[in-house]
Amino acid sequence: MNKTGIVKSTFRFALIVAVVLAMTMAQNVAAQDVAVGSATATVLAALTVTAGTLVFGSVYQGVPKAITNDNADAGVFSITGAAGAGVSMYMQLPDYVSITGDSDRMVISFSATDCNIDTAGVSSGDPTAFLAANGYADDNPHNLPTTNFDAASSIEIFLGGTVLPTIDQTAGAYTGDIILTVAYDGT
Amino acid sequence: MKRSESLIPGNQAGFGRRFFCLLVVFILISTKLSAGVLVAPTVVFMSDKNRTGRINVQNPTDKPIEVTISFGFGLPESDSLGNVKVVIEDSNVVDPRSALDWVRAFPRKVLVPPNGEQVVRLVARPPQNLPEGEYWARIIVRSQQGQTTIPTAGESDGITTTLNMIIKTAIMLKFRNGQMNAELEVTNIQTSRDDKKLRVIVDMANHGNASYLGRISCRVLDADKKQVALAGTDLAVYRNLKRKLEMPYVPGEHLMPFEVEIKITSEGRTDIAREFMVFGNEINRVVYLD
Repeated sequence: MNKTGIVKSTFRFALIVAVVLAMTMAQNVAAQDVAVGSATATVLAALTVTAGTLVFGSVYQGVPKAITNDNADAGVFSITGAAGAGVSMYMQLPDYVSITGDSDRMVISFSATDCNIDTAGVSSGDPTAFLAANGYADDNPHNLPTTNFDAASSIEIFLGGTVLPTIDQTAGAYTGDIILTVAYDGT
Repeated sequence: MKRSESLIPGNQAGFGRRFFCLLVVFILISTKLSAGVLVAPTVVFMSDKNRTGRINVQNPTDKPIEVTISFGFGLPESDSLGNVKVVIEDSNVVDPRSALDWVRAFPRKVLVPPNGEQVVRLVARPPQNLPEGEYWARIIVRSQQGQTTIPTAGESDGITTTLNMIIKTAIMLKFRNGQMNAELEVTNIQTSRDDKKLRVIVDMANHGNASYLGRISCRVLDADKKQVALAGTDLAVYRNLKRKLEMPYVPGEHLMPFEVEIKITSEGRTDIAREFMVFGNEINRVVYLD
């Protein structure tokens, strides 16, 4: 092979390498494009429920203590869901609270007017900010109404109650459960 | 299981999501939280071709929550006044369309850390020769504060009380076996009014083998064809359902009689991906209210 032939074949080899490199780089660029283009996000409809406890503070033997539904210490359930969706709610309330070890029990009662329900979602979790025009005032917690999420997508339930310690109620710490069940009625 | 996707157009969906997130954050900040849970999606679809599913459980609070997954059965049921309730049963369910006995969740009990997330996987093991149709169960996500503080009495004769706030979120699970169809019939419409509200009660019967999912809307026009009121809600009819729509109005402000337009359609659901929708018939009715 003469000198010109060697130069030609070297040039041809370099050209092939350059073309292959260029194609590889182009593929990488394309792959990067695809990777960026394929970034996806999936939106799932969600139902959120949060709760703040009903606080009675210190209670004295023989002295009933009531927390009203518009008191800052009232229990709070906040439900957030899809605007326009119907929601069914059911509350299970205790008849008594028990001392650790269940050696004594204290009666707790919830009347048919112990509940405020803000269907406009404007109370922002504050029982004292509830206005009757924004939902159901003094409603029955034993039979909550079926309602719809309006444009604010938020419902808040404010719960009051009364504990009734006896004159010989054992001193100590009492606990009980309040259970709220929430279900969409349109799914 | 495939995840559902938003059907809301771009900017609107973005705004809606941002508004929803801000709303949740605002409520969480301003509420004295002791427990909380976010569950998504709000309905899970499984089938003879895809017997697995999943739900996401998030803890939106700054304390750990204990989450327990179980199953129940409960369909939307209505009373004579059109009020709809979902009553959950967890035992002695005899409904032939119940999937309660053959769906399982993993894990069934988990501690979700503050602001953490847990995926719960679902598996269906339907019996052999299951007749064609849709089968139902409710996924019950029970959550309460994970580290329960044992209260202490403040004084020697003192009595203190702590109430554990427990939340149960009931999510619908639908298992579809074979070809699905939903065929809705409106069997009766009642209208009434008092000095504050207009009421429309619609009786419906589903003749299909799958639940009819859609929306019911109602528009009231006066004698001059001016709009008096508008209402609508998501709809799920499994067998029979009587649904009430209430609309506020001001008596004397509009010319009677009122024309009530009722529309029921499978379109318009933004919470369920189209691939999971069983599109049924559309119904349009007009009735008059004196």
